[in-house]
Amino acid sequence: MKLPLKWLKDHVEYKVSHQEFANLMLLRGFEVADIIPEMKATGVVVCTIDAIEQHPNAERLRVCSVDIGKTDETGEKQNITIVTNAQNVKEGDQVPVALDGAVLADGMVIHPTKMRGVESLGMFCGGAELGISDAEYPGAGGDSVLVLNERYENGDKIETALDLEDVVFDIELTPNRTDCQSILGLCREAASALGQRFTEPEIKHIEGVGDATEYAEVDVLNDTLCPRYLARVVTDLKVEPSPSWMQLRLKLAGLRPINNIVDITNFVLLEYGHPMHAFDLSCITDGHIVVRNAKQGETVTALDGKEREVSNDMLLIADPTKGVGIAGVMGGLNSEITDETKVALFESAVFLPENIRHTTRKLRHSTDSSVRFCKGVEPVNAEKAIERAIELVYELGAGKVVGGLIGTCEEKIEPRIVHADIKHVNAILNTDLSGEKMAELLASINIPVTVEGDKLRIEVPHFRTDIESGLETDQDIAEEVGRLYGYDNIPPTLMNGDTFRGKLGESFAREDEIKDLLCSMGFMELYNYNFTSPQEYDALLLPADDEKRQTVRLRNPFGEDQSLMRTTLIGGLLRTLRLNANRKSGQGRFFELGNVHFNNNPELPEERRLLGIVCTGADESFYTLKGVVEQLFSVLGAKQLRFERGGGEYLHPGQKAHILLEGECIGEMGGVHPKVLKSFELEKSAYIAEIDFFKLLSHLVAVKKFRPLPKFPLVPRDLAIVVDEAVEAQNIIDVIAAAKTAAIVENVRVFDVFYPKTPGEKGIPEGKKSMAFRFELRSEDHTLNDEEINRTVNQILKALKFRLDADLRS
Amino acid sequence: MLEELAKIREEALKRLESIETEAELTELNVNILGRNGALTGILRGMSKLSPEERAALGKEANEVKQCLTAAFDEVKARLEANAEEARIKAETIDVTLPGVIGTPAGRLSPLTLVYRQIRDALIGLGFTTYEGPEVEFDDNNFTKLNLPLNHPSRDMQDTFYVDDKVLLRTHTSACEARALMTLEPPFRLVIPGRCFRVDEPDASHSPIFMQMEGLVVDRNLTIADLKGTIDAFVKAVFGETVKTRFRPSYFPFTEPSAEVDISCTICGGRGCSSCKGTGWMEILGCGMTNPHEIENCGLDPHEWKGMAFGVGVDRVACLKYGINDIRLLYEGDARFLRQL
Repeated sequence: MKLPLKWLKDHVEYKVSHQEFANLMLLRGFEVADIIPEMKATGVVVCTIDAIEQHPNAERLRVCSVDIGKTDETGEKQNITIVTNAQNVKEGDQVPVALDGAVLADGMVIHPTKMRGVESLGMFCGGAELGISDAEYPGAGGDSVLVLNERYENGDKIETALDLEDVVFDIELTPNRTDCQSILGLCREAASALGQRFTEPEIKHIEGVGDATEYAEVDVLNDTLCPRYLARVVTDLKVEPSPSWMQLRLKLAGLRPINNIVDITNFVLLEYGHPMHAFDLSCITDGHIVVRNAKQGETVTALDGKEREVSNDMLLIADPTKGVGIAGVMGGLNSEITDETKVALFESAVFLPENIRHTTRKLRHSTDSSVRFCKGVEPVNAEKAIERAIELVYELGAGKVVGGLIGTCEEKIEPRIVHADIKHVNAILNTDLSGEKMAELLASINIPVTVEGDKLRIEVPHFRTDIESGLETDQDIAEEVGRLYGYDNIPPTLMNGDTFRGKLGESFAREDEIKDLLCSMGFMELYNYNFTSPQEYDALLLPADDEKRQTVRLRNPFGEDQSLMRTTLIGGLLRTLRLNANRKSGQGRFFELGNVHFNNNPELPEERRLLGIVCTGADESFYTLKGVVEQLFSVLGAKQLRFERGGGEYLHPGQKAHILLEGECIGEMGGVHPKVLKSFELEKSAYIAEIDFFKLLSHLVAVKKFRPLPKFPLVPRDLAIVVDEAVEAQNIIDVIAAAKTAAIVENVRVFDVFYPKTPGEKGIPEGKKSMAFRFELRSEDHTLNDEEINRTVNQILKALKFRLDADLRS
Repeated sequence: MLEELAKIREEALKRLESIETEAELTELNVNILGRNGALTGILRGMSKLSPEERAALGKEANEVKQCLTAAFDEVKARLEANAEEARIKAETIDVTLPGVIGTPAGRLSPLTLVYRQIRDALIGLGFTTYEGPEVEFDDNNFTKLNLPLNHPSRDMQDTFYVDDKVLLRTHTSACEARALMTLEPPFRLVIPGRCFRVDEPDASHSPIFMQMEGLVVDRNLTIADLKGTIDAFVKAVFGETVKTRFRPSYFPFTEPSAEVDISCTICGGRGCSSCKGTGWMEILGCGMTNPHEIENCGLDPHEWKGMAFGVGVDRVACLKYGINDIRLLYEGDARFLRQL
């Protein structure tokens, strides 16, 4: 909401700096987002053109000797030279001149320049250069140099001379303060902030002559959507430009002056925050206004000239034959006030905010009026608005006022009385204010309060619709008292009451642990967007029935490519790799711990938290990533980690594995399928793991327990065996783990696999390979002797022969 | 034989002077003091002598042996010292050459860093972690929080909808409804999570952002407690010298409501371009929980009071680390992450 200082000064004494004022308003909950000067140009002064000569070298230029009010010590005038191409200036004219360093409204900076050999020390300005129009100064609207039509002191700043030295405050409103969508509402708050008491101007009731009902009648067919509709009639209209004070205020507040009748409705809209409309009554059939729901398929051409189709959930202002306006949004072109209009009907109504909001959304069109109707207007103000409009008609001599107020729901609206508990208000604020003090504070914003024992009796002004009668009253009053008293005056305390033990929840602690571990292993943390595209699932080669295709679709996404909630982190991880490759960041290890959503539930989508780990680069392989997973799980205390061949379609068919803990699959990992790499424009191989965080959590040792260090020496042994090519390391580990042995066998690790390049190479038959593995033998209670060691090795070999047809490599 | 002894001693001492290596020293040692060494040979031949001669020679031989042993030790020490000196010289390097890193350390996102700082400060004040779903019921995100359908404040937050009843939560306040409905008061909760609003991404907006909600429900709470709590965690994150300012505002789910500014982290409050010359930067919204919300969630608003605040983790991260574009937080550019 724009508050022109000139308009504020009409009602409030203003003696502070603009910055101080902004600060005072801020501390009352009104943030001044911008302070806009009335005159945007700076460094422009008044001058008189004493003499004009033709430019010696240019036909279209003239050289002017200009008096800018400067004299030397003897009192001799020190004129300067301005070269101009303006044709509308003559000797003796007073015009604005921009001097060295001046900044014009469009940001252009003026410096002395040579024009065809003659130095010009500045530039004459028109309204456009100054950033003003006819509303600010008559004649400023043209595109030539502004010839001033009154005499001013040469050398005076132009903004001072034209009385355009004030500013406009652009104030951000919170949605609860609908009363401040108006100049008067803001003046009320401003007065209080400046330590004054605001008095709402009296509206002079203009009785008028005759009876309006002879000119017009109003029928409201839907009084839910239109609880109040008031109208007055004015005849013998003189449609003309409105006076300059009105035009200036409209312009400063952001509205374009049109003609006196429309300007009056807009002036009242700004002043009281209540939207109004004026119809040309001669265009209303039978002078009969009908407020009704639109008919399906009906169209209305609004004031902006656009034809709009309306629907039966919208409210229409109509006459017996046609729509003449879309209620609360815009009047109709067919009943617009024109220069020829002789009889006008002024409308001031209350429409249901929900309905107007619905209409503006559906029509995708909002106006200064609809914005206010959406936030809510109130019936008392509707009456004030129409009275004020008629007063202005009378004052401006714009027409003859006809007697009588046509309308519905004219009954007097009784003021609301609420009671607030003084003790409770103090308890909310941690203050110790007396009821009288609270009453005094509230009175400063025109809320009448009396103290009745331990209660405040509050007569809620009609404009304060935000103050509730009921459960919230004490809080509402506490808020008002608090902001008027000043939050700064309430010293901070720490909570008392029960002592609390703060706690970091287990899953939160585990998240920290995982993130820190991955960080220490060289991974950078990502927060990728949750949005993804349907194409990404194709790029990941996911079959139509893949669970990851059960996506949640947004109803109003930014676009198709961000229309789905992700069901996997993989797409984001691969996109990150591409970004880092393109930007040559030199980083190939990333992870993300984030949520994904599955559309598999009639109520809320299923939310899963996934841990995604990705790596790429010359040194990376399936095994480096596997090492990371193993290391991570080992530190976390994961139980019975196993890898089994298998995994999603996006993974390399020969390099993928399910990750199991205690037999449950909690995730998968592998090389990224070459096709997927291509789709994501990745040149190097990448490896990816995706793990279900909460499943992982269910397989972690809560508290790790210490096992005494072995007392007796470990005996390491290496064996090389020849087995079928299909045998994998896990088979060997499983066989040994299951074998009955004399000594304890631990830490079995395959460290070398050899495939013969030609059949029979190094004595290995076709279809076979050699695997070398290492393990440790020990006993809990003694040092192993040779016989035990040999027996154990033989037991292992026997088990491997029996289970895997493995032979000791000779 | 005495002359022989003297000769052995003389020659040995002479040889020792020119010895340069441990190997030479060992060889000389063996040749003289070893089992078949010259001195050992003399001692062995003593049995043929008379007791008197034996005593005299023995005494002399022992002296020679001691003298030579000491001389050998001395030379050995010298050689060792030389060797050590040579090694140190050989191993002397340019310590300003770059270090070798096995796996370079990764980095946590600034979002995680800030989240942890705020969280840990609040845990210190007795708060417990809590969370709720990102895809939420409209009811929990709005209606229960005193934002019924058609409430004008719904326009304040442009919402991504899944259907009429389900949306992407626009604030972590949605978890307030869940906590109020399921937990036994009194409680103090810190609730982190991602939130979503229909904001086209630019330097200061992201459609996805991270918020942290603080929610306290207790019998006696005042706006002074709210000020004190926020002051405490703001100092924990930004340092002891930062100032906070409360100014009245409006949120449907709190009454009274306030917005909190901190003294500008760039200029310290003098006014600069980052704070638009005001010296202050907005970091959070807060207030005393609206009694309607408490009632909507099934608690008695006359018995239970609430206070709540919502911090934009992104915003705090940007302020704290001087990040000028919020999108960097979600882009995953390692050159950015590596700096923090």
